[in-house]
Amino acid sequence: MNLTDFFRQLSLLMGLPAVLLGAAAVAVIVIMRDWRIVLFAYAVLSIVLALLLSQIIPPEWALLQAIVGGLIAVMLYLSARQLRWNPASGVSWEGRWPQMASLGSFRALAVALAAVTFLALREDLVLPQVDLLFSDAIFWLVLIGLLGLALHEEPLHAGLSLLAVLGGSELLLFSLIQNRTMIGVLEGGQLLLGLAISYLMVSRGLASSRTASGLARPGEDA
Amino acid sequence: MIAGPELVIGFLLLAAGAVYLLRKMEGLAALGAASAALLLAVLLWRLPLDTRVLVAGRTIWLGKAVVWEGVSLQIGAATQALLTFLLITAAVVFILAWLTYQGRTIYPFGLILVALWAAVAMVHPLTLAPGVIVLAAIVSVFLIQAGKAGETRGAWRQLLFPTLAVPLFLIAAWYIDQAPLNPDDQTPFKIAGWLLIAGFVLLLQPVPLHVAIPAIAGQAPPVVAAFLWIGGQTTVLFLLQRFVVTYPWLTAAVDSARWLLWLGVLTALLAGALAATQSSLGRYFGYAGLFDYGVLLVAMALRGTAGLPTAIWLVLTRAIALLTMAAGTALIRHHMESDRLDRIGGAISRLPMAVLALIAGGFALIGLPLTAQFASRWALFQLLAETDSRWVLLLLIGATGVVIGTVRAGRACFGPLSGSPVEREPWGLALAAFILVGLGVVIGLYPQLLTTPVAAVILPLSTLGP
Repeated sequence: MNLTDFFRQLSLLMGLPAVLLGAAAVAVIVIMRDWRIVLFAYAVLSIVLALLLSQIIPPEWALLQAIVGGLIAVMLYLSARQLRWNPASGVSWEGRWPQMASLGSFRALAVALAAVTFLALREDLVLPQVDLLFSDAIFWLVLIGLLGLALHEEPLHAGLSLLAVLGGSELLLFSLIQNRTMIGVLEGGQLLLGLAISYLMVSRGLASSRTASGLARPGEDA
Repeated sequence: MIAGPELVIGFLLLAAGAVYLLRKMEGLAALGAASAALLLAVLLWRLPLDTRVLVAGRTIWLGKAVVWEGVSLQIGAATQALLTFLLITAAVVFILAWLTYQGRTIYPFGLILVALWAAVAMVHPLTLAPGVIVLAAIVSVFLIQAGKAGETRGAWRQLLFPTLAVPLFLIAAWYIDQAPLNPDDQTPFKIAGWLLIAGFVLLLQPVPLHVAIPAIAGQAPPVVAAFLWIGGQTTVLFLLQRFVVTYPWLTAAVDSARWLLWLGVLTALLAGALAATQSSLGRYFGYAGLFDYGVLLVAMALRGTAGLPTAIWLVLTRAIALLTMAAGTALIRHHMESDRLDRIGGAISRLPMAVLALIAGGFALIGLPLTAQFASRWALFQLLAETDSRWVLLLLIGATGVVIGTVRAGRACFGPLSGSPVEREPWGLALAAFILVGLGVVIGLYPQLLTTPVAAVILPLSTLGP
């Protein structure tokens, strides 16, 4: 079975189900606090984006999105694991239990309000060379991604929100321009962005985990 | 034969690799990086663009384009001037960084940054340049953090806005390509114009998108912060000028000059007000630099009149002002182990030249007489008054805020020492601070010294092609 056949097998998922899954994934990235759930949502979003992109660009190019998304998820996982699961980080067993934040309900409310805005404006948004379903996906990803950027400044959540905005923009861009070099360069750029986000995650997390374990003050040399 | 872009980017990346290997010996790394930058600056300054020249047994053709998959890199006369300026600034920054304990990452990453800024200035199609700016922002993340754990706001904000700008430029490129298909329809130009303006607002980061500047000033080593502002902001303004000259319809589609004027004045006004109220030297430095940046944006908005020479003049003089203030701030922060205004009391008795550099840099950013920026600011205010004198008044109100901030920062350095014993500033540092302050005063007294370099850039910059 070649790649085209594989994507054909998944054709059931490619329409509305894929868009709904992607919409839910980006909402989870913005609302949830626990890094494992958020990273899983990002991995799902990357696969959904690859499925959607396979409708407008050749499947082997679309697969690049899933590969890059997977690599970013791995980088972020390793960074988070180094901070939260490494015994040297000083985080106790209890500290590794999934975390729920009281602000989660506020973020859920913000996403719900954004959903109302989305429903009110979706028919006014006219994007060139894009059908209504794609237009909805682009609008939702960019809207919720920007909301995530406004709500979070911590590198993991803010970084994934930025990648969600870029994912939405790619759906529009690749509908307009199907250029192999551009796709490669943009995906490569996302990978570098993922690297920078991982580095910032470690920089910030090291300080907070050291402070928590009383090893050092924030701001000192890592 | 080596083409100009290959020479610039290849040489800088090789030098960065070599300097990275030397990073443990900081003095050697700093001297190596500064020498490499200066050598390339001299080559760029001396070599002709349109003829082949034999250098060390290799033929170099500076003006030759490098083309790959429809993307080209080429050095024009204006790019040549910009690169010379960036490389000389980088050489000064490397030496200052070594003297003021700014961390070891600046030397290799600084050279890579200059290579990326050079690529932004050389690349065609222009709509790809913001992508290279994002690469530069990714590199600057490592410079801003400088290997330290803790606060990441400055680095994150530096990365955020250029990344958001990239899709806008690429979609604008599609509209620009569509426009010739239906020459009677101006809609694609209009949409592309608005997308480009929105993209440039994200790249320029005026108020209210200025949040990266004070965060970087509070977090990054001050000389690194000054380097990022001088290089990054100058490169983006150069890119804006390239867009305006390459796409003449842009000024007709959107009144970009008016937008820039409003944003520049708003930036200067708010930055001045915030500079007056800061409680740490780093953040005061950030807002003073932001005020100066707002004034530069105003000069760029007037580029249709005589604003372009004034903007070039300001770019040169602000580099001296920012580096002077950065050197003072870095020294005080390092020796006093804090930059909070309530913890730097007595700095004047142990670090007199650092305090002098701090105050002189502040006065230069305001544009007071006897400082590097006085003549260029005076010229700008006269030019602006011809349009509407109320704009000048608003800029002066902003400047008053920076005056208050400078007086507060200077005053905080007097009095008895507030903490543990402080080491005296080494003579090398004192000399570097004195040279920067002296250079500012000399240019303040004899501004005509800059006439030749400014005049040499005006024509290529106003007619530069893709």
